Amino acid sequence: MDSLNIYQRKLVLFSGKGGVGKTTIASAFALSCARRGERTLLMELNTKDKVSLMFGAGHVGPEIREIEDNLFAVNVTPDAAQEEYAVMILKLRVVYRAVFENKIMRAFLKAIPGLNELVMLGKAYYHVIEENDDGTPTWDKIVVDAPATGHGIFLLQIPSVITSILGSGHLYEEAERILNVMQDPKLTAINLVTLPEEMPVNETEMLLESVRDELKMPLGYVIINALYPQLFSEEELKMMDENRPDLEAGDLVANLIDAAQFRNMRHQMQQGYVEQVHERIDLPAAHVDFHFVDHVDFPTIDSIGASLAEQMGGE
Amino acid sequence: MAEAFAKLLREKQVIVCVGSGGVGKTTTSAVIALHEAIRGRKVLVLTIDPAKRLANSLGVDALDNDVTRIPIERFKDIGLEPKGELWAMMLDMKQSFDHVVEQYAPPKEREEILNNRIYKYFSTSLAGTQEYAAGERLFALHQSGEFDLIVLDTPPSTHALDFLNAPKRLGDAIDNKALQWIYKPSVLAGKRGLGVFSMGTAYVLKTLSRFTGAELLDEFSVFLRSFSVLFEGLKERGVKVRKLLTSAKSSFVVITAPDPLTIDEALFVNERLREEGVKVGGFVVNRVHTEWVDAEDLSRPVVGVVSALSEAGFDHLDPKALRDLAERMLENAQEFGVLSHMDKATVERLDAGTAKIPVVRVPFFSTDIHSLRGLELVRRAIFGVS
Repeated sequence: MDSLNIYQRKLVLFSGKGGVGKTTIASAFALSCARRGERTLLMELNTKDKVSLMFGAGHVGPEIREIEDNLFAVNVTPDAAQEEYAVMILKLRVVYRAVFENKIMRAFLKAIPGLNELVMLGKAYYHVIEENDDGTPTWDKIVVDAPATGHGIFLLQIPSVITSILGSGHLYEEAERILNVMQDPKLTAINLVTLPEEMPVNETEMLLESVRDELKMPLGYVIINALYPQLFSEEELKMMDENRPDLEAGDLVANLIDAAQFRNMRHQMQQGYVEQVHERIDLPAAHVDFHFVDHVDFPTIDSIGASLAEQMGGE
Repeated sequence: MAEAFAKLLREKQVIVCVGSGGVGKTTTSAVIALHEAIRGRKVLVLTIDPAKRLANSLGVDALDNDVTRIPIERFKDIGLEPKGELWAMMLDMKQSFDHVVEQYAPPKEREEILNNRIYKYFSTSLAGTQEYAAGERLFALHQSGEFDLIVLDTPPSTHALDFLNAPKRLGDAIDNKALQWIYKPSVLAGKRGLGVFSMGTAYVLKTLSRFTGAELLDEFSVFLRSFSVLFEGLKERGVKVRKLLTSAKSSFVVITAPDPLTIDEALFVNERLREEGVKVGGFVVNRVHTEWVDAEDLSRPVVGVVSALSEAGFDHLDPKALRDLAERMLENAQEFGVLSHMDKATVERLDAGTAKIPVVRVPFFSTDIHSLRGLELVRRAIFGVS
């Protein structure tokens, strides 16, 4: 673990259950890479686009767009990824149009299990190896916001499922190439995002197990998100505890104390789960503060990015 | 609101909890079930989430494909006397769908399907299979009459609609022309001018297999051929499940969080369910931040807070330390003020968009909800003290 520097990997994925702030962390990390001068591509996989909201950058769709200096974003949809892939193989867009843009064919292709997931990962893979005309790599960094659902890591499992179902053919070879990149510790790392709460920690432990045993992907950090910074000293909190009973509900000081105690209770609870993450999840940990804002905006992303860079060797 | 919501639950035999991931759907499902069990009904909470959430919060080690009784009599410690029973079960998706195949496929196809490689890997992730299997199980359990109420916690990433439309989507997948063409080439023989097919089947097939590889096409067509024999049975059963879910015996509850994106999603789900003829019976908004200090007090100058603090027993601090503490206490309350203000605005938007449907707010607690006692805390917040 001692030499882990996530910033030296080219393909960096962030995974975790819904609601843990995975998109925020992936975006912040991508921004920190861009700030280092790396040409960075941030990929959302077929989700409701949240990136554009955070960057105030207008809609991010299936076309790659520059949203900040050195930072590009794309929201990959299966349809667009499939088209790109098919045209690449068939060479001629005319052939693609004739065969794939037929309504019936579309329905058919949609029904083939795993194909959607594979073409989306295929796009990430393609950008990892993409080169300019002069042979230099097009991208320095590909950052993927990789969903984990109730199925666990279904999406990321697809390449290995495909290679075990098929013995040959284009898709097989494609899946194998994707798998090789996904499992290459020089190129790739997958980070797990979690919250300092009971169920997210349990689920992250299970997720870690699947990534290790089933995906066999090189692991990066566990990122503990949304930590309340402590604002009060123990002495001050003790004073509040002592004085609160003499105050009537609704009194200004009583309300201020209630708010302070609330924060402290959640802070204490969170610290307990931080301990648990350190004990149960044997990955280096990065801590991210909660930001008291009504929506995650650019300054928030920027500050989280700077904090990640500091903790994960990106300074 | 709490009253109307409680009444809804009392009157129903099936409650389907829907909502996007990370909003506390499983916890809320458990609370709804717990409430009715305490009132005296025999309740089953059914989850599809493999992530042990429900087992965690109910205080049992694990749940499986069989019903497990939850020891709510432990509530006597906190002065409650549950009159009914609470049962829980975690659907094993693979087992449930295998069961569907065993039930509806003729013996010959049965083995062919169960051994098909595509089926093995994808039976739980094909469009609609999860929801179908859950609906099927729910229907069977309801039919058995063993429980007064069944609360279903739907899969995390799924939209409510997927759940309702599962039978139809499965049907469409098997019924669609392109698929028939691949497993029943005769279907389209003789028909002309069907776009892609007029170019010559062989050409299309060749191009497709350049893309997918011939092996995948073969395996997939075997899968579809054998799976298609299931279709009539699935369709028939699907109609019954849908009928139960849209009947007066059932109600959908949308679980949400108070952030704008999640509320948008809840409003969207409500709209779409209505179009499908389903009435949403209530909304539960979890993790609503408390407004500790009102806006007027928050705008007070620090000196005012300093003097209030020294009157309230903080007077032994030196002036600098006292002022510093006052500033931080204000800052803290302001920070939570931002969150409570946002939550209030978004929940009001939900209220406005869902006239007459009860919207229940659950506060963001200072502790984490992951035990029976935690569930009781939420229950009191939703229904008032029993």
